[in-house]
Amino acid sequence: MALRNLGTTALMGAAFAVCAMGASAETLRWASTTDPQTMDPHAVNSAPVLSFLNNIYEGLVRRGKDMSIEPSLATSWEPLEGENGWRFTLREGVTFQDGSAFTAEDVLFSYQRASDEAADVRSWFAPVTDVRVVDEFTIDFVTNAPNPLFPDSIANFMILDKDWAEGNDAALPARDAENFATMNVNGTGPFTLAGRDPGVRTVLVPHEGWWDEAEHNVTEGVFTPIGNAATGLAALLSGEIDFIQPIPLQDVAQVEGREGFRVLEGEETRVIMFGFGHEHDTLLYSTDVTDVNPFQDPRVRLAAAHALDIDSIDRVLFRGKIEAASQLVPAGISGYSEANSDRPAYDPDRARALLAEAGYPDGFSFGLKCTNDRYINDEALCRAAASMFAAVGLNAELSTGPVRDYWPQLREDDFDMYLLGWSPGTFDMEHPIRFLMHSQDDEARLGSWNFGNYSNARVDELLPMIQQEIDPAARQAMIDEVVAITQEEVAYIPLYTQPLIWAAKDNVDLTQRADNFFMLRWVTVN
Amino acid sequence: MVYFILKRLVQSVFVMLAVAFLAFSLFRFVGDPISQMTGVETTVADQERLREDLGLNDPFVVQFYRFTTDMLQGDFGFSYRTRQPVADMIADRIPATLELGVVALIISLIVGIPAGVYTALRPRGVLTQGILLTTLVGVSIPTFVIGIMLIFIFGVQLGWLPTFGRNGTVQIGGWESSLFTVQGWRSLILPAVTLGVYQLTLTMRLVRAEMMEVMRSDYIRFGMARGVPMGRLHYRHALANTMVPVITIIGLQFGGVIAFSIVTESVFQWPGMGLLFLESIRFVDIPVMGVYLVVIAFFFVLVNLIVDLLYVAIDPRLRVKDL
Repeated sequence: MALRNLGTTALMGAAFAVCAMGASAETLRWASTTDPQTMDPHAVNSAPVLSFLNNIYEGLVRRGKDMSIEPSLATSWEPLEGENGWRFTLREGVTFQDGSAFTAEDVLFSYQRASDEAADVRSWFAPVTDVRVVDEFTIDFVTNAPNPLFPDSIANFMILDKDWAEGNDAALPARDAENFATMNVNGTGPFTLAGRDPGVRTVLVPHEGWWDEAEHNVTEGVFTPIGNAATGLAALLSGEIDFIQPIPLQDVAQVEGREGFRVLEGEETRVIMFGFGHEHDTLLYSTDVTDVNPFQDPRVRLAAAHALDIDSIDRVLFRGKIEAASQLVPAGISGYSEANSDRPAYDPDRARALLAEAGYPDGFSFGLKCTNDRYINDEALCRAAASMFAAVGLNAELSTGPVRDYWPQLREDDFDMYLLGWSPGTFDMEHPIRFLMHSQDDEARLGSWNFGNYSNARVDELLPMIQQEIDPAARQAMIDEVVAITQEEVAYIPLYTQPLIWAAKDNVDLTQRADNFFMLRWVTVN
Repeated sequence: MVYFILKRLVQSVFVMLAVAFLAFSLFRFVGDPISQMTGVETTVADQERLREDLGLNDPFVVQFYRFTTDMLQGDFGFSYRTRQPVADMIADRIPATLELGVVALIISLIVGIPAGVYTALRPRGVLTQGILLTTLVGVSIPTFVIGIMLIFIFGVQLGWLPTFGRNGTVQIGGWESSLFTVQGWRSLILPAVTLGVYQLTLTMRLVRAEMMEVMRSDYIRFGMARGVPMGRLHYRHALANTMVPVITIIGLQFGGVIAFSIVTESVFQWPGMGLLFLESIRFVDIPVMGVYLVVIAFFFVLVNLIVDLLYVAIDPRLRVKDL
């Protein structure tokens, strides 16, 4: 009897909860694994921060639902005449959230702030030599060479109000101590900050004076970081949050099996690959081959590529949700080389033959380094790959570790083969060529993630030409050449494109963008 | 008495210094803060400049000296991750952890002591066997599994309690408390039970063992023979003598409850110091990790001191000897 009473009370409680939800239908509660560590758009160049702040701040250009570049604070832009660079015509009548007007001075100020040594986003402005205010609503960005991709590359360059920043001692991003802009905002975007408790809760409300037509019906957005995946799933299933990004692959069935919830799946732009120590003269972790580095022979690298069965990896580890990759960007990204869309097939016999041809009929052992907390199923992937390598005689000594310890090891050349995932920040093939394929060149800031220092004179020669080429066909021809060379030489083994898996309540309409950014302005709560 | 307390507080400074030293010597193995602080497009030169600015290139001894001297002057530094003052970050999170720990302790005592007495007095009862079995299962399952199970039963299936976070808090003079609203208690109850389960079992078994021991002693038998009422004998004479060792162990355990609430806080996304520490490890936020460990060391010392004082209060013999 007591139990039944308890049940009734619970039912009433549930009914109450439903009523309460109905009353505030336009509050969207969402969760993600990482809290944006600052509200300063220039302090940190990381996805959680840039994704979140894109709801509050805006750039000269912005990305649409399909990642295409569209006008935002600039209404149009065209190449400068007589010199290299771009002229942006700014939108008139835009106001910041504190009511002050947006002008070219704010753009100039934001450029100076974002390109300062204190800013982590300054690399975006490496090609910029000068910025000139022409009039109140026109501004010129002068670059050191023709730069057709410059407008695309500054989609996350967010504009701050000059007077607000200077007036609050936040003229530069915080270096040691926090400053006003770490915890407060004043952007031109669709939402503004209504509350911030770092690591606990961040509340957004619509900016009434936003210049654009609002597509959303959200009156309040509440963001909570939830680090533990099981806790996040429970929070969604219990109805305490409306949306979560991402959920682990193994939880997909749980969510799909429940009434009122759905899983949103897409392809992220991140390509997972294996890299080699091209420059290493010997293997570090081999027990049998110690005087040479067999991976310097392209036949051995190709053998490794032929040893991997992506279909099995997809079926067993990823429930059919990955897309095999032939190059360092997925199909659909600008510059993707259609001409080179084949990847080495799974062919263990061919792999063994290639190894024998290269002088290793019995194979050899080497060290494989992987992360265990950076990419989806990264450790499981490496275990699977290691056993596939072993089947053709490549005995991988696998060592995995957290990412916080991983990059320093790669920078110190402490690997024979390594795992890497790369998402092209500019959504163009030029990005991975610049960071992963060009020879390491600290002076010119090129090849900074090319840990094994893959080096090909023709690729190095083509990169600046690709960067400066205005004609799309000529540009694509050069990119095709780079992709062909790097495939021929097996500079990397591209594996697959990582899936993007979000989960939401059925009554929430939202857009899943390929860069994993969540835009509150595309949300409708029904 | 005052001398005794002062002596212990001076000792605590050395304990904290030792902890800071150990912690600092381990931080270099946690990872590289710079690669966590900067984006992928940041140039190597900019990373090196940042490393130099933060003093990460200095020898270990120099870094440790800087950390301790700053801290002795009350400067706890700034977080690498959020740039906030570390002292504020930790201070903001202390109420959540302390309330969670204290409520967990109270739950474990309220349930554990009576259960211990009951199982000691009726060692062969069916209920006793049931209690012993249940608590054995409870203590054998890892904390995070208990937490997830409770979340799925009471949060997801029944929908009675929130699954995560700390809601319904009220500000009372700078202390953010969840003890004054229904909402606050609803959020608190699952994590507190999760955190208290181990402590509960320990308390119960300790009380049971001690009580059974005491019940066999001569003065109890003598009391029985004299016809002292059983209730008085059990709860006045036997229980009081049972509590001395129990308080020591429980007190020492409480320091552990605070320090190891990390797992519970992570499962329930409870915004306490433990959760902050976990986030800091992920980002190799050395200043926060350092201060957290020193603060925890201080808690341990403080709890031990309180236990020693309680000891004196409970056992009159110690009062005479020590002073």
